[in-house]
Amino acid sequence: MTRTTVSALAVALASFAAAHGANAQGAAPNPALANPASVRVRYMVDDVAAAVAFYRDQLGFRLDMQSGPYFAALSRGGVQLLLSPTKGPGGASQPMPDGRKPAPGGWNRIVLYVPDVQGEAQRLRKAGVHFRNDIVTGLGGKEILLDDPSGNSVELFQPG
Amino acid sequence: MSESLVNVRYMVSDVPQSVDWYVGHLGFQPVGPQSPAFAAVVRGPVRLLLSGAMSSAGRPMPDGRKPEPGGWNRLQLVFDDLAAEVERLRARGVAFRNDILTGPGGSQILAEDPSGNVVELFQPAAVFSPPSPGA
Repeated sequence: MTRTTVSALAVALASFAAAHGANAQGAAPNPALANPASVRVRYMVDDVAAAVAFYRDQLGFRLDMQSGPYFAALSRGGVQLLLSPTKGPGGASQPMPDGRKPAPGGWNRIVLYVPDVQGEAQRLRKAGVHFRNDIVTGLGGKEILLDDPSGNSVELFQPG
Repeated sequence: MSESLVNVRYMVSDVPQSVDWYVGHLGFQPVGPQSPAFAAVVRGPVRLLLSGAMSSAGRPMPDGRKPEPGGWNRLQLVFDDLAAEVERLRARGVAFRNDILTGPGGSQILAEDPSGNVVELFQPAAVFSPPSPGA
């Protein structure tokens, strides 16, 4: 764990330095290699800075690295969330050969376990977070869907 | 459900067909009860929840919107040799939305499952070369 933390920090610092011109080579170890055990999920976002603030401040993610307005990676538990804007030099920001452009939204999502989904939803609603629905009880537990600032959904799930 | 795995949920139009696709092409294993409404598959640390319209996750929203497959948000799977993996999958008839794209962090391509959900196949670059914000 310590090694992972140190390595993630080194990557974050190197990337920050590179992004700000402190490293003449403009290169740093790849964040995707920093923690190979992570499950990586990519979300398209309208605004990387706004998305970083949301996931960090509202949902408890830790910022692993950010490349200005073009990319950011945040972690929570075993998941690394990659945020890519709809425009920019990154591979994920490019249009498809048929002209379709990547956009936020849809229904596919990461599932975040919370011990008390009702309490967590209440806390987030007070903070101004938008929810798509109310708590739904299924076979495996209780779930609710919130929207990030770009309209991507995140599921909060309480098992049992 | 165990909390040691990371869960990602995809909406799918046909649960058994989706299970076959993820197991047959991308190395997932079925886990837990498999039903026409819902099934889960596992690959390493990720559990992919495949939810159909009849599952609890398929219920309409209070405003009437119905969950559906598609969009651009996706699970990313990392490969050492992306080109070889893409060639292998194309030979098996897997559909892709694009061709391999190379960005500052590495190379990627988007595979489409039978419901039209995307899965990103990614090969990291040895070094990450962030573009300067003014570029």
